[in-house]
Amino acid sequence: MSKLSFRARALDAAKPLPVYRGKDMPDLNDCVSINRAVPQMPTGMEKEEESEHHLQRAISAQQVFREKKESMVIPVPEAESNVNYYNRLYKGEFKQPKQFIHIQPFNLDNEQPDYDMDSEDETLLNRLNRKMEIKPLQFEIMIDRLEKASSNQLVTLQEAKLLLNEDDYLIKAVYDYWVRKRKNCRGPSLIPQIKQEKRDGSTNNDPYVAFRRRTEKMQTRKNRKNDEASYEKMLKLRREFSRAITILEMIKRREKTKRELLHLTLEVVEKRYHLGDYGGEILNEVKLNRPDKEMSTTPATLHNGNHHKVQECKVKHPHHPSLKEDMSDVVRQKKKYPKKPKIESVITPQQPTTEPLPVISKSDIKQYDFHSSDEDEFPQVPSPVSEPEEENDPDGPCAFRRRAGCQYYAPRLDQTNYSCENSELAELDKLRYRHCLTTLTVPRRCIGFARRRIGRGGRVIMDRISTEHDPVLKQIDPEMLNSFSSSSQTVDFSSNFSRTNASNKHCENRLSLSEIISNIRSCRLQCFQPRLLNLQDSDSEECTSRKPGQTVNNKRVSAASVALLNTSKNGISVTGGITEEQFQTHQQQLVQMQRQQLAQLQQKQQSQHSSQQTHPKAQGSSTSDCMSKTLDSASAHFAASAVVSAPAPSRSEVTKEQNTSHNNINGVVQPSGTSKTLYSTNMALSSSPGISAVQLVRTVGHSTTNHLIPALCTSSPQTLPMNNSCLTNAVHLNNVSVVSPVNVHINARTSAPSPTALKLATVAASMDRVPKVTPSSAISSIARENHEPERLGLNGIAETTVAMEVT
Amino acid sequence: MAEVGEVTEGCRLPVLRRNQDNEDEWPLAEILSVKDISGRKLFYVHYIDFNKRLDEWVTHDRLDLKKIQFPKKEAKTPTKNGLPGSRPGSPEREVKRKVEVVSPATPVPASTETTQASVFPQNGSARRAVAAQPGRKRKSNCLGTDEDSQDSSDGIPSAPRMTGSLVSDRSHDDIITRMKNIECIELGRHRLKPWYFSPYPQELTTLPVLYLCEFCLKYVKSLKCLQRHLTKCDLRHPPGNEIYRKGTISFFEIDGRKNKSYSQNLCLLAKCFLDHKTLYYDTDPFLFYVMTEYDCKGFHIVGYFSKEKESTEDYNVACILTLPPYQRRGYGKLLIEFSYELSKVEGKTGTPEKPLSDLGLLSYRSYWSQTILEILMNLKSENGERPQITINEISEITSIKKEDVISTLQYLNLINYYKGQYILTLSEDIVDGHERAMLKRILRIDSKCLHFTPKDWSKRGKW
Repeated sequence: MSKLSFRARALDAAKPLPVYRGKDMPDLNDCVSINRAVPQMPTGMEKEEESEHHLQRAISAQQVFREKKESMVIPVPEAESNVNYYNRLYKGEFKQPKQFIHIQPFNLDNEQPDYDMDSEDETLLNRLNRKMEIKPLQFEIMIDRLEKASSNQLVTLQEAKLLLNEDDYLIKAVYDYWVRKRKNCRGPSLIPQIKQEKRDGSTNNDPYVAFRRRTEKMQTRKNRKNDEASYEKMLKLRREFSRAITILEMIKRREKTKRELLHLTLEVVEKRYHLGDYGGEILNEVKLNRPDKEMSTTPATLHNGNHHKVQECKVKHPHHPSLKEDMSDVVRQKKKYPKKPKIESVITPQQPTTEPLPVISKSDIKQYDFHSSDEDEFPQVPSPVSEPEEENDPDGPCAFRRRAGCQYYAPRLDQTNYSCENSELAELDKLRYRHCLTTLTVPRRCIGFARRRIGRGGRVIMDRISTEHDPVLKQIDPEMLNSFSSSSQTVDFSSNFSRTNASNKHCENRLSLSEIISNIRSCRLQCFQPRLLNLQDSDSEECTSRKPGQTVNNKRVSAASVALLNTSKNGISVTGGITEEQFQTHQQQLVQMQRQQLAQLQQKQQSQHSSQQTHPKAQGSSTSDCMSKTLDSASAHFAASAVVSAPAPSRSEVTKEQNTSHNNINGVVQPSGTSKTLYSTNMALSSSPGISAVQLVRTVGHSTTNHLIPALCTSSPQTLPMNNSCLTNAVHLNNVSVVSPVNVHINARTSAPSPTALKLATVAASMDRVPKVTPSSAISSIARENHEPERLGLNGIAETTVAMEVT
Repeated sequence: MAEVGEVTEGCRLPVLRRNQDNEDEWPLAEILSVKDISGRKLFYVHYIDFNKRLDEWVTHDRLDLKKIQFPKKEAKTPTKNGLPGSRPGSPEREVKRKVEVVSPATPVPASTETTQASVFPQNGSARRAVAAQPGRKRKSNCLGTDEDSQDSSDGIPSAPRMTGSLVSDRSHDDIITRMKNIECIELGRHRLKPWYFSPYPQELTTLPVLYLCEFCLKYVKSLKCLQRHLTKCDLRHPPGNEIYRKGTISFFEIDGRKNKSYSQNLCLLAKCFLDHKTLYYDTDPFLFYVMTEYDCKGFHIVGYFSKEKESTEDYNVACILTLPPYQRRGYGKLLIEFSYELSKVEGKTGTPEKPLSDLGLLSYRSYWSQTILEILMNLKSENGERPQITINEISEITSIKKEDVISTLQYLNLINYYKGQYILTLSEDIVDGHERAMLKRILRIDSKCLHFTPKDWSKRGKW
């Protein structure tokens, strides 16, 4: 027998195993050991335990005896089943139901308290029961609630009272007892509970912590509703949603505010449109007035509501009523005598000029406030002006527009050169740099009332204002203005007002010489023009000789200007009074005069050092001692203007003198041009800060034009058609031709004004050496009292402006 | 001769013990813990090569101090871990602890004997995982002893896997779980001496008797509380569906998710008698089949087994227990039989989750043996030929897993190789033994009394 000669095949579970029993069984000696072929199955026990004494003994006993022996069993700790009080403990019987017991697990919760009373509690209960009735279950419910409401921190008595729906005394008794018992309790709760895991993992190794949640397993389950991760996500989601809601609410609020702002802006714009406030003037006025609403008609300074200066307000306040009174008085007067000139007026010539203007500004202010100030009314506002004044004309599309976010400060009073001796004057000082009569040099003409300001890149911007006097103003020859500056302005106004009674008016003017002079002085500030024209004062001495003739002319001029307003025909008829001979003689005189001036000028230029000495002299003449001369010069200008304006309609007559006058012009202008350049440099040094830059630009430009005059004489094609058109068309075009006669050599009649121009040029040349009398000083030195009302009047005009840019 | 005072944890010495035959023995025992109660020292001893369930508190007069072996901790420390025992309080150690806290895989060790191994978790825990060696010799953590000579001082155990059963070897890991913590449990008529640690609330572990409601298994600290509880508890049977009833024996099915309270109470009770069970995780993925015996007072729990709702490893039993008062009366086998009956209904083969306890092994072997022998004995010869059967057929008939069939056949020594093929030989010895055993086996499961419809838990999406 070679038992070991072959190797047993592996046991195949699928292969049938024949079963041999009893006597059929082969001799086991014939059987081959299968130890290697059949895998040794593990017992499934832990190795250490498998070797335990009692188990091995039991196994061997089993194998030997094939049945258990009592002594061979594995010993276990004893258990007794002799609880004799069992039947008392488990009372009653339970009859086995016929059907299988089926239970709904959720019906098991019968809201019974988990707390079970112990004997200590029973003692308390017995004690309490002497005073009141308390059942064990009641007590257990109380303790149960207290326990479950408490964590590590015990509930307070107040909380307990909320928790327990019992008598206060009972609650107090039970609560106190519970607190005491809880403190003595060794466990975390009076209701013994299995230690719960802590999420921080600190209890991972605590053997007393059991039944931990299978979080990882839960995460693999898709349908876990109480998955902690998703719960946390939900919490996060909720938090973020609420944050989003907050943000959206804030956005909503912001957009609402924006819409409100838009509506308000639209409303303001509409109101302004209706008011014609294209330049933002009224808006600014209102904004200025806003903080001091009660002062109603404070003349505007550019102001940005929020940044109103309190100090300024205080300054304004005291004199405000007086001003208002004044203005309302003016209004009444205006109403009473709408068309009547103020002959008897105490304030004399300025009064008529200023009169309408405050009314307008006032009404404007009131109107604006009436519409725009929603919440506040004007308690002290006088009744609104019945008729809207003509100064309300819109500025047009070029109006100044406020920029959002930009702060516009009111001009500061202390920046002006004026000392505020008079409160009213201080008030009016703010109006100083209002619109004034302005003359351009390049298209040489008077553009009426305008205001200068410096724009971007140093560009000078002209804010024009349309006034009723525009037609008259446009007629103004720049030369006239040059010769006696703002006096012409005054005359224009007066003439304008005295349309019906021009002669009367002029009498008035002539009578109040001092006023006129003061006007001239004061209006020099207001009238912006080529600077050489200012030099008229110095040459007024030369003008004296021609005084009579000029006065005559003056008369005629005023008449002519009035006539021009109506019809050109009238103008012709009126000017017809000036004969050809007269004109010629006058021209000759002028030529003579200019020659003298030239000679003088050359002398003066040679003796430059003496200019300082002559300057005070000139100043003196301009102020007081040469009143008549000034008047003469003014009248002479009028005469010149008359000469210019009168022949303008009859431009067809081209005279032979054209050449001579042309020569004259050439002869005179060239020196004046040189003097102008000199002057401009002087100006840069001496001019008042407010207008120096503008003036510099203008004067330079003017001087260049002066230089260019010879060239222009030959070639200025644009003026020719303009003149032609003037014949047929509007008066103002005609005025244009009048305003710039110097350049128009084609016009035969232009020879007439040219002498004045020459004269002025020489004056300018003479003035060249004289330090410039700054506007401020002039105003301060000369009649300020006259100047102020005038500016007030100008302010009225300034309500509506046309912006014009001069580059 | 050592003084009593010198006897510390880790010492080994013969301890007097009285065996089943009421004879005095002096088996070698290890001191696991020492406590002082009113001046009297008590020693918790584990008898070497005896099951832990026999561990007990003894007085000093049962110790044979002459033969005491003191622990040699330095020598016993595995050299691969490098470090000697504890150096409490050293700054270096504090740093190491912090490192451990950071590491998620290594929970904070409570022990003073934290060593290098825990600082390098991959070292200790990896070794542990590969070896799958339960730290039976794991050191006492909380008591701060380092005396266990067999202590491997390896890494801190991480959380056990969450899949699988309640069976775990974790109970070996901790000195606390190595010691019984409940003195006595009163359950119905019975007073049970727990065999092992169970995580009942700690404040209850000092009680001389822990009272349990016989039907809902709630634990209370006193008889008075139990009385109070019984006025409120109207259960007279396990709170589940009865799926089997024959005679007085009934089986109740309890869902570990739907009836957490009872499941947990049952597990706590069972843990007192199951060493390898863990209560680390919740009972959600388990079904509990509670066997009861009816009398006029109600359905008294006899034993139970738990079963995973879904088992990936063909387990049809996770934990199985016959309560000590009912042991050695066939209830265990009845439980096992019932578990296989369920598997038969499910049409699966099954096996109990490992590891088996000593009693579990004996019970299962006994059941398998009897079941297989029963089949083999009842095989009739066809056409006069020798009856034959395949292992697969046995497995299918009994729902016993094929490996268990083979191991049982091997254990019974029935497989022989004869004339080029394997044969099963039923010796007279075996047949007689089987017949005698079967005579004693009165309690049988009657499959006709089973009203059970298996649920497909995977489709439900819930345990």
